[in-house]
Amino acid sequence: MANANAPMIELSGVGFAYEDAERFTLANLDLRIDAGTVTGIVGASGAGKTTLAKTIAGFIPLNEGGTYRGAASVAGRVLAEGTLSEAAAAVGLVTQNPFNQISGARFTVREELAFGLENRSVPRDEMERRVDEVAARLRLEPLLDRSPYALSGGQMQLVAIASMVIMQPPVLVMDEPTSQLDPAGTRLVYDVLSTLSDGGTTVVIIEHKTELLHEHCDSIAVLAGGLIVQHGTPGAVLADDRLTSWGVGETRVTTAARLARERGLLPVERALPIGVDDAVEAFSTQTGAAS
Amino acid sequence: MTTTTLYLERTSALHRLNPVTKLVALLSIILAVFAVPHWWIPLGIVAVVIVPAAVLGRVGGRLLRLFLILLLPLLVVLFLIQGLFYPDGSTVLWEWGLAQLTTEGLLFAITIGSRLTALVLGSLVFVLTTDPARLMSALTQVGMSPKIAYVISASLQIIPAFQARAQSILLAQQARGLAIVGSPLKRARALLPLLGPLILGMITDVDERSTAMEARAFGATPKPTSLIIVPDPVGERVARWLMFLSAIAVVVLVVVGVIA
Amino acid sequence: MSESGHAESAGAAAGAAAGAAADASSAGDIAISVRGLVHTYPSGVTALQGVDLDVAPGERVAIVGQNGAGKTTLVRHLNGMVRPTEGEVRIGDWSTTEKSIAELAHRVGYVFQNPDEQIFARTVATDVGFGPKNLGFDEERAQRAVSDALEAVGLAHEADVHPHHLSLSERKRIAIAAVLAMQTPIVVLDEPTTGQDDAGVQLIAAIVGSLIAQGRTVVAITHDMDFCIENFDRVVVMAQGEVRADGPAEEVFADVAALEAAAVEPPQLLRVARALGWSGTPRDARAFVDQLAQQRGSGSSA
Repeated sequence: MANANAPMIELSGVGFAYEDAERFTLANLDLRIDAGTVTGIVGASGAGKTTLAKTIAGFIPLNEGGTYRGAASVAGRVLAEGTLSEAAAAVGLVTQNPFNQISGARFTVREELAFGLENRSVPRDEMERRVDEVAARLRLEPLLDRSPYALSGGQMQLVAIASMVIMQPPVLVMDEPTSQLDPAGTRLVYDVLSTLSDGGTTVVIIEHKTELLHEHCDSIAVLAGGLIVQHGTPGAVLADDRLTSWGVGETRVTTAARLARERGLLPVERALPIGVDDAVEAFSTQTGAAS
Repeated sequence: MTTTTLYLERTSALHRLNPVTKLVALLSIILAVFAVPHWWIPLGIVAVVIVPAAVLGRVGGRLLRLFLILLLPLLVVLFLIQGLFYPDGSTVLWEWGLAQLTTEGLLFAITIGSRLTALVLGSLVFVLTTDPARLMSALTQVGMSPKIAYVISASLQIIPAFQARAQSILLAQQARGLAIVGSPLKRARALLPLLGPLILGMITDVDERSTAMEARAFGATPKPTSLIIVPDPVGERVARWLMFLSAIAVVVLVVVGVIA
Repeated sequence: MSESGHAESAGAAAGAAAGAAADASSAGDIAISVRGLVHTYPSGVTALQGVDLDVAPGERVAIVGQNGAGKTTLVRHLNGMVRPTEGEVRIGDWSTTEKSIAELAHRVGYVFQNPDEQIFARTVATDVGFGPKNLGFDEERAQRAVSDALEAVGLAHEADVHPHHLSLSERKRIAIAAVLAMQTPIVVLDEPTTGQDDAGVQLIAAIVGSLIAQGRTVVAITHDMDFCIENFDRVVVMAQGEVRADGPAEEVFADVAALEAAAVEPPQLLRVARALGWSGTPRDARAFVDQLAQQRGSGSSA
């Protein structure tokens, strides 16, 4: 990066209204995301999460008609000023529907994974190495010789993720990538994201499962009414008293901790736990203090 | 592998050939049989080239079955109509009411029929022994535009994808009490309302997919690399040129009147 | 509670769907009986290796397990979309092999995981009304069924909209409404909470609750264990085409071996309880806090 202090993704005053829409889906939105971090985006259905994902990736306004304003840049470049192909080189977007991310023109999963690399003229031996690597990480080896059309929804979702991860974009934006996956598959995806961010990739992930975000994110941003209403550490955001009013579910641990606090079983000054580990700590000290 | 095409996975010399070589052979055969006005040329090619190739490619049984299902009924109809009702027939061999079996009609039917047989069987042997993925890679290797390759490959797979989708929508509607029984007309009427949304869905898919393909850098470089490399030995390249030139020679000889 | 629009209707769901109960003709006494069920797909994959399962009328059963464990294959037998290779599936006095899918639709409503496999009509109301029409509801009952079902999923105001103009999570709720409107004694849900936000999950929980309140049977596949333990009394764990555990939620989530075999992680609060060394199995936040109070010996309740 030219400037180490500049954020990797910077949106300032971004607004967007779809064609014929009565209102702005994104309204004057500001968001800064640092390089190499994992950022979770949460919000109620209809809050504008998918629109935000497309905007970060440059699909809005490059590929979507409507009213766009403000400035969005990735690595200091304003994607709206370039082409979609240039934007795609900077930001990899995994959309909600894996079926439409399959090229439809490749006969095996192996070739499907290589499709994007072929388009970028990656040498063949490197392609093979990268296909093997991503297949191993997401446990796709048994599927490599299958037709991409002959996959279950969950398998197709993994292939769609792998086909974007393999291109190693500096920024990866994923719109509910684990919706059709079982817990084991979901863990695999999050493990891959952690490895990628350790390697410097900036990851933005839209997700309803807040417990997972707490475990894997550096920060979480809450989208409500087309605005970022809160952006901070997972601990701060997921324990925010206004979280449910934004349409985002707390973890069961946080709900229980709130209840415990109401009943005087947890000191008011203590931060609300979110995951299993901090819950064990919070509630065992309480048990200990009582006995 | 996929069930999307007729391709049969086997190990044979024919399967190992570069698909482009097979394609050039097929096109040369088609060119020759349609240029030469003698019915015994196409039949000779079927007997000496196409059938042995099918046996060599270990797809003879399947070819026979497809011949019986696809081609035979067509040939029968062709002989009945052209043989018996050929308008310019003068040499009548046999007559019954309006039907006249004429030498001219018979000759016409044999000429068309033999050409059709060579065309269909040749194409079938090609399709049965050629992995579509390998074909597309080989074609782009010899310089076909990746965009055209994409369109061909996608069309090969769109029909099974469409079928799968139609089937799942149909299943879902039966699960909501749609009874698919009764006369074919009744069934068709029950299924008709499902067709519109099915096509509409496919169109939105195409739109979404084309965006997704741009996100996967499709068309980013004019010279993409390929994961599958199809070997293309010098011998095959020479053979391709020889076949192509011979076919051209045949056409030229017919045009200048050496072969009549 | 959330202030979002459809959370309010979650409260109304119970009432709206309860109204439909009065119309439901044969709700109540239809049991599910699966005996020695084996299913092998034409590809040669055996998805079910001898499954036995009995579900009494009015039970709410969650089926959990990894992708590929055979969950969807099992529930697709319930309305005849998949037929047994061996064994038998009975819905009340019917054997599924003797009935068409359309006939079984009178007894079993099935919500697909992917709503786009199910939705086809030009308006939301027509789509939801498709099932009732096929089942021969008279005009008045069909209209009531549609409006009650749309009310229950919080989409009454979208009745005349083209389904493709709605979001994926809304289309998912249309798919659920379309099956609710059929008023079948048995409702099968394949991963109903996929892609739903907090309010959407609460709405679906309310729907499950109201179906049970009407004496109808609910069988659901889910990967969301928190949703599972809060809304289902009985849990069936599947792995590699077999049932590995089957019983009350508290017992099944204590069966560590079965859960491990099925790669299922217990609900969050249960993991905490276990890590704290508690013996009980708190099913929701309230039960958890009650137990916390007990552990502390105070026993007080606010």
